[in-house]
Amino acid sequence: MQSKRLGTFSLLCSLALLVGFSDAATASAQAPTFTVGWSVYAGWNPYFYMQKSGILKKWADKYGIAIKVQRFDYAASLDSFVAKNIDACAMTNMEALDMPAAAGVDSTAIIVGDYSNGNDAVLVRDNLTFQTLPSKPVMLVQKTVSEYLLERGMVLNGQQAQLGKLHLINTSDSDIVAAFLNNKSNEAVVTWKPLVSQIVADKSVHSIFDSSKIPGEIMDLMVVRSEVLNTPNGQKFARALTGAWYETIQQVAAGQANALKYSAAASGDSVESYKEQLKTTALFVSPKSAVDFTDGPEVQQKMDLVRLFCFKHGLLGQGIHSVDDVAIAYPNGTVQGNKARVRLRFNSAYMQAAEQGKL
Amino acid sequence: MVSGMSTPEMTAGLHLIGEQATRAAAKAKVQAAKSISIEDVSVSYALERSARRCVLENISLEIEEGEFVVLLGETGCGKSTLLRMLLGQERPTAGQISVAGSRVERVDARSGYVPQRYSLFPDRSVLDNLMMGPLTSKFHILGRLRPSYWEARRAVKAEAFRQITHMGLQASDAGKYPYQLSGGMQQRVAIAQALMMKNRVLLMDEAFSALDPSTRSSLQRLLRSVWSETRPTVVFVTHNTAEALFLGTRLIVLARESKDDACGSRVTLDMKLAEGGMTLRTHGQEFLDLVEHVEAVSCGQRLTAPGERRTASDAWGEELGRVEPVRVSPEDGVRQ
Amino acid sequence: MTNLSPFDIQARPNRLLAQALSCVLFVVCIGLYMHTSVERHKENAEDRVVPSGHQLVAGIRSAVLEPAEEDDYIPAESASTWERLRHSMIWKDTASSGGRFFISLALLIPFVVLAVHIGLFPWFGAGFLRFFLFFDKIVALSLLPILFIAFGIDQWSKIALIVIGVAPTMILDVTQMVKAVPQEQIVKAFTLDANNFDVAYRVVFRQVLPQVINSLRLNLKPMMLFLFAGEMIAASDGLAYRIAIMRRHMGMDVILPYVLWVALLLFLIDFSLRVINRRLHPWFQA
Ligand SMILES: Nc1ncnc2c1ncn2[C@@H]1O[C@H](COP(=O)(O)OP(=O)(O)OP(=O)(O)O)[C@@H](O)[C@H]1O
Ligand SMILES: [Mg+2]
Repeated sequence: MQSKRLGTFSLLCSLALLVGFSDAATASAQAPTFTVGWSVYAGWNPYFYMQKSGILKKWADKYGIAIKVQRFDYAASLDSFVAKNIDACAMTNMEALDMPAAAGVDSTAIIVGDYSNGNDAVLVRDNLTFQTLPSKPVMLVQKTVSEYLLERGMVLNGQQAQLGKLHLINTSDSDIVAAFLNNKSNEAVVTWKPLVSQIVADKSVHSIFDSSKIPGEIMDLMVVRSEVLNTPNGQKFARALTGAWYETIQQVAAGQANALKYSAAASGDSVESYKEQLKTTALFVSPKSAVDFTDGPEVQQKMDLVRLFCFKHGLLGQGIHSVDDVAIAYPNGTVQGNKARVRLRFNSAYMQAAEQGKL
Repeated sequence: MVSGMSTPEMTAGLHLIGEQATRAAAKAKVQAAKSISIEDVSVSYALERSARRCVLENISLEIEEGEFVVLLGETGCGKSTLLRMLLGQERPTAGQISVAGSRVERVDARSGYVPQRYSLFPDRSVLDNLMMGPLTSKFHILGRLRPSYWEARRAVKAEAFRQITHMGLQASDAGKYPYQLSGGMQQRVAIAQALMMKNRVLLMDEAFSALDPSTRSSLQRLLRSVWSETRPTVVFVTHNTAEALFLGTRLIVLARESKDDACGSRVTLDMKLAEGGMTLRTHGQEFLDLVEHVEAVSCGQRLTAPGERRTASDAWGEELGRVEPVRVSPEDGVRQ
Repeated sequence: MTNLSPFDIQARPNRLLAQALSCVLFVVCIGLYMHTSVERHKENAEDRVVPSGHQLVAGIRSAVLEPAEEDDYIPAESASTWERLRHSMIWKDTASSGGRFFISLALLIPFVVLAVHIGLFPWFGAGFLRFFLFFDKIVALSLLPILFIAFGIDQWSKIALIVIGVAPTMILDVTQMVKAVPQEQIVKAFTLDANNFDVAYRVVFRQVLPQVINSLRLNLKPMMLFLFAGEMIAASDGLAYRIAIMRRHMGMDVILPYVLWVALLLFLIDFSLRVINRRLHPWFQA
């Protein structure tokens, strides 16, 4: 009697499982689907417009695939990408190195969309300078480009020796504005737009350093998992995405009303505010400018600074004992680091195809 | 008649009052302080929708120093309510109550209290429970930091141990917590705790109700002997008529005339009892008749006029031929 | 034969079997973890999401023996293990989180005392009870910006967050306990010539103290949650700070030991409170 009942129970369980699996099976039998993750940022907001306007669907249909776009919190989008829940994700060069690449997920940057040209800034109260900064608490989201920017600022202002004396307070970006402004004893903060604009609205705060002083070091990339890119469908996906991106970004750059409206709406900003953010974002509007930048020698210099920063701060992980263990490959074939351990690749082939109109 | 009184059976039995004895007693009573006086007290509680439930209605009672009053009545007739009023835990809706010469406004140390449950502080040992009263009355909260506290404590401790043995407990029980004691032992300690305060008034609400018959009867005997030593005024609420007849010197029955919410309980029987306690063994049929009568009164089957006061054998006096009826006039409460 | 049916309330499992059964879910969890870890590492030898045993050991070593990144490096050769432990990341974080935790614990005491008054003194009840009933429903986290203004971003805003988050619940809980003390006890105390404060502190407070400690034990986790929330939002040290930082580069090899360490600490605090309660209040049943 007892065992019979148990038997029925397990039968039901396995039935439920079967149904679940066959559901999944039928779904994957349809057109290959790819998912792109993005988060709120001036250079990435156009993905919202790209999806809403139907540009993305047009390009996906052209290649006979389906592309889903999903908005995340930045950290969550990276987690999903590393966990292989999504196929492509918008991220900065620094996170591309210390999240997927350092976690052994071979990744390829197929679009270099822009670099921060003043979007990130070091803001201070009173007449604080880099000389006097080390004694004061600095609020920022630690281990992100904010900290990178701060260190670069210190180095470029001759304060390299003082780096160890900085007193950093890790502050969540959702609360950093309120936490900084509401207390006059907080004297320095490093953050990005539009938060920067909200903070400098307070007249006692001004910027002493921003990313326009280190052009090209903070890049915004579209990164695809290399294993996806190595499948025929994956290549279709990359081509469709690149095509859609350049059509979108050109509309944004041309100031088309809808393009601006949707892109601004993506982060809940006004069109004015969004335009202001774009001013400090060096967009590679034409595929050619992006290709020139990516293929040029500069990228390697900048990436070298970034990877050394990541290594120094342990962002490459406990197990990585040499900065060369997370190697970067460039379009011209050079490899920064151990050739057997290439984890991050810059691939300009798709941008080139866009440039040549071959998409 | 007089020779009858000299036999043990008689002294332990009904109160036999001759003409002279009555007069002498009356004189004494006039002089004796009124321990408790309840004047025209009514209590009613608000029910929902502005209706009121009247619990006690125009109760007037004078209780004299050294009386052992047992309060009987059906469940819900307001015995505990009356006791709460005597304690000062609640105020009557109308009328007033004084205990030990002054009006009762709030709960204070003029009367001792032994409830049926939660009679001991569970977080204190037997000894600490006993010492609590005398010590707190001298040393309030931070007063215990004074050096004289320890001296006083030693004195109280000795007294507490005396009470422990007096109550028939072992000295080894002193360190036990209430949960380690049986129900009977707990009530012994509770009585001792109240006695430690040497109060002239003792209020007990169904103090023995949860005990088995043999524990109960031994506690009854204990209470009687304790009472006869110092003769405090006791108001003892019980459901058990036999217990009432054995313990009390005066029996009061509360009952309602109808089940109507507007109708509260009144005193329907107020009777003087023999001092030595009355039991089936000592009084046989008379005892049984009395029990029957009291129970009939308390459930409203037979009503005596309010304010009427009798001795136990009033109803049976003729048959027994030994007792004269005693009545109390409402004005002065003096026996005629 | 013993009855093995799981749906028999009256079953009497034998001791050994019951003990074994209580371990099963732990073993299953560890097994599942190891399985996933091995699978993921087959695919990607450097996977960090589900670290392998090796990675975990390395993570634990660095957490326990190496100083935090922002501190000075201590060379392994010249320092004793104890010294390295003293300057380690986990030590530093535990000390600073622990400080906050215990300060807030201490700050709860006046609130418990207030609660005794609310439950016992009618005027206190009239003044405070309704306010705390309402205040209890406020989600403390949403008040953070106000807390920042009032307490700055250092220590005190986190402590305030914990206290504001937990105190109203404690107050309501303790008020209930005080009200549940039988009236007989209070009346009896007054007949023993106790004054109001004797009744409040020497009768009622003593009686509810073990329950208060139990309530505190239940509130340990909410306290820790609020502490974590505070530390994740703005901090320069602390257990949750480290977890937040490690998340930036998926340092699960350090995060997992930290999470288990926090669980162990909470368990130990809970356990010691339980023991203290039993020692201090032998009369308290249940
Ligand atoms: N706070 C109150 N509100 C409304 N009614 C009350 C309240 N307290 C008591 N009563 C009512 O008063 C009546 C008397 O209650 P009380 O407890 O005095 O009875 P009792 O004679 O002690 O009964 P028992 O023998 O069962 O203990 C009950 O009918 C009860 O419903
Ligand atoms: Mg009662």
